[in-house]
Amino acid sequence: MQTKERPVPNGVVLEMTGDLTYANREQFKTAVEAIRQKGCRHLILNMAEVRFVDSSGLGLLALVSQNFKLSQAKVSMLKPQSYVREIMSLANIQKLIPVYDNEQDAL
Amino acid sequence: MIMSRMRCNAAEGGVSTVLVVDDEPTARLALAARLQRLGYRVIQAGDGKAGLEALRRERPSLTILDWMMPEMDGPSFCEYVRQDPELLTSQILMMTSHDQPEQIAEGLARGADDFLSKAASKYEITARVQAGIRAATLVRRLRDATEEIRQKQEVLEQELQSAARYVESLLPPPGIILPGVQMVHAYRPSLALGGDLFNIVPWSDDFFGLYLLDASGHGVSPALRSSSFSTFLRRDSLLRHVGSNDPGAILTEANKQFPLTETGHYFTIVFASLDLRCHTLSYATAGHGGALLHRRSGEVCWMAQPNLPLGFDPSTTYVTATLPIGPGDRLYLLSDGLYEFPAASGELWGQGRLETTIQALGQQPLETVITETIAEAVRWQGHEQFPDDVALMGVEVAI
Repeated sequence: MQTKERPVPNGVVLEMTGDLTYANREQFKTAVEAIRQKGCRHLILNMAEVRFVDSSGLGLLALVSQNFKLSQAKVSMLKPQSYVREIMSLANIQKLIPVYDNEQDAL
Repeated sequence: MIMSRMRCNAAEGGVSTVLVVDDEPTARLALAARLQRLGYRVIQAGDGKAGLEALRRERPSLTILDWMMPEMDGPSFCEYVRQDPELLTSQILMMTSHDQPEQIAEGLARGADDFLSKAASKYEITARVQAGIRAATLVRRLRDATEEIRQKQEVLEQELQSAARYVESLLPPPGIILPGVQMVHAYRPSLALGGDLFNIVPWSDDFFGLYLLDASGHGVSPALRSSSFSTFLRRDSLLRHVGSNDPGAILTEANKQFPLTETGHYFTIVFASLDLRCHTLSYATAGHGGALLHRRSGEVCWMAQPNLPLGFDPSTTYVTATLPIGPGDRLYLLSDGLYEFPAASGELWGQGRLETTIQALGQQPLETVITETIAEAVRWQGHEQFPDDVALMGVEVAI
């Protein structure tokens, strides 16, 4: 998984590329934790280039959402692909992390 | 034992043993005396056969070997040593009076580690012997470390097997669970230890609960978390902690008891209760898609409700849904490992194919449906070993 940060008004967009799975959970965790430590108020995960999220990746998203909530910050998700979107909706993840189809809506 | 030999020979400053194999007594004695003066313990052998015996008996750090010997010459000695699993790591320094490059190449190819000219100076002999002993020490350390790892691995594997037997002992025995209710299951952990568990919770003579849970992750940690969760899901514990046999109430309480771990691990679960008197199936799910009702009429109804897995949000309320059931209806609880696995092409088997398979097997005996469904899944992926834990529990209601 590759990640790239991009500052936006009142937050950070994390551009993600690859799979969010057990094998690359550390890379994702490190990137997200660094953003949280910097006091980011709103993390927007751009999932457009993420092909697959496994059960471990799903747990990681929930953990990130909980940790940001503890820092009085929020997490949103942008443009998940169809398969990932299906996994997210089966697990009702939008209850924790709102899903948006464009950046303007997320902001 | 290997460790102790290493210590006295080389590793901690003990005296190293050198074996000298040469049929010519004058040269042999001269070299032996020189090595003794350098502080080594020296053993001597007058031919290849005696040399091999000494090598096997004494396991010296280094063998210095003459090339030219009657019967078994130096290169043949080396070849023999390299084919013997017990001796093959021995360090051999071959001695020759004519050190032609072709001869050196042949000697190395046939198993010598280094060469020493008979005309070598005292300093060169010292240096080459030291180099040989250094190499021997490293080889021994490596071999000891490998052996230690192998032994530890064996202990770990035995413990895993014993833990796996314990986890399997938590599973209910298949058979008649109540008059008119038959249960059959299949359980295929991806590693020795699985994170899937299922069981029956007897409420009364005509009312029982059943659940199937799936801990995220693979191996020891999910297996431990699952077995702790299954303790919470025992009848007495549920009556004490939840005070109700309502599936939604049970999951709502479990959600508080089992928060997301600090590494982001969690459970998905389906909990169902079958009331044989009222002919109703009540159930609740938490992020779990693997539950379906196969009616006697052939109709298939997936019971998934889109909602959070356990531990994602402590404020979640899980709601019970209710369906009527009739004689001949079958309830299948399963883990996602039974549909989210790929064929060689990468295409997932999916819930659709699973449903078609169960439907096609129709009203064949429950045992056959369970066995054949797993067999069909195995055919799809092309091998026996599922990438994730697979659990499937089927219950048929006859009344």
